[in-house]
Amino acid sequence: MSAADKASYLTEEYVQRLNELGEALKQGDDEEANRLIGELTTLRESALFLELGKLTREIHESINSFTDDERVVELAQEEIPDAKERLNFIITKTEEAAHKTMSAAERAMDVVDNFVLQANDIQQRWTQFRNREMSKNDFLALSEDMDRFFSTINEESNKVKSEMTDIMMAQDYQDLTGQMIKQVITMVQEVEDKLVRLVAISGANLAPKVKAKDDGSVAHGPQLPTADKAEVATNQGDVDDLLASLGF
Amino acid sequence: MNKDMKILIVDDFSTMRRIIKNLLRDLGFNNTTEADDGQTALPLLKSGNFDFLVTDWNMPGMDGLTLLKTVRADENLKDMPVLMVTAEAKREQIITAAQAGVNGYIVKPFTAATLKEKIEKIFERIEG
Repeated sequence: MSAADKASYLTEEYVQRLNELGEALKQGDDEEANRLIGELTTLRESALFLELGKLTREIHESINSFTDDERVVELAQEEIPDAKERLNFIITKTEEAAHKTMSAAERAMDVVDNFVLQANDIQQRWTQFRNREMSKNDFLALSEDMDRFFSTINEESNKVKSEMTDIMMAQDYQDLTGQMIKQVITMVQEVEDKLVRLVAISGANLAPKVKAKDDGSVAHGPQLPTADKAEVATNQGDVDDLLASLGF
Repeated sequence: MNKDMKILIVDDFSTMRRIIKNLLRDLGFNNTTEADDGQTALPLLKSGNFDFLVTDWNMPGMDGLTLLKTVRADENLKDMPVLMVTAEAKREQIITAAQAGVNGYIVKPFTAATLKEKIEKIFERIEG
């Protein structure tokens, strides 16, 4: 029976009862009148129940359509754990690259430090020679050391170059991690869309809670460069100015 | 400023500890030790005769602010100069750290020149 049939059926029932009620009242039949009023109330209630039933079914279907959504299941069971793994992988990769870069830089610096030491030594002795303050034997030693130094420069410069190449190559993490971060962003976007739908279904009347005021004792981690400048010091100059204004 | 002073570097990221250690070495400070959070730093500080503490803020276990407050509350450590090197850049936080008694505050990312300047300033004040 469709809703329209049901409605006309109800109306017929009402009309019949109302006519009978009028008749009963005219004849002063209180018992019959009370019975008819009771039947009318029951009719009214069943109409209410029908409406309530319809509403309940609609809500039920909305929630079912959300939970039956295979994507939600996939997101929860596969993609979110997968995204966590990707992010952990990114931490590992960037950390490895940072250490690789620093190791190469440290080795290159050692080579350069050594150059400077040897060059200073030779320069001092060369000055002695130019001032005619050097014995023949010392000069022979100096010229040998200079020969050795020149060949060292050749060999060691190649070492520095190879360390620089290592530093460049260590930046290859950026391509890989960049792609992974993009995948995670796409997933987060989808979760956001689903959450917005969930909020719409469950009624958006829940006002967001007022956030507790920040007393400054909780660590928040790095801020975005786009952060509100009234709240966030965006560079060392801002920090220094703030501390100076407080008398530190 | 004594270049042989004993410095404790506290940061949960080994890369950042390494960067700070290298920068300090370039500034002539070779006597450095590392810890990865406040909890591991505290016993070192209590037994190690350190002269200077460089700490991050956001760390698992004990964070840098708690470490700073603990150091200031400890009779033997309370006068130790503390430099905070952190990504925490909210104004309330900088004020909180200052009120807790930090001697210098550097926000990441930072430069070698900033580190040098802040360390010099801290020891100028202490020795001056």
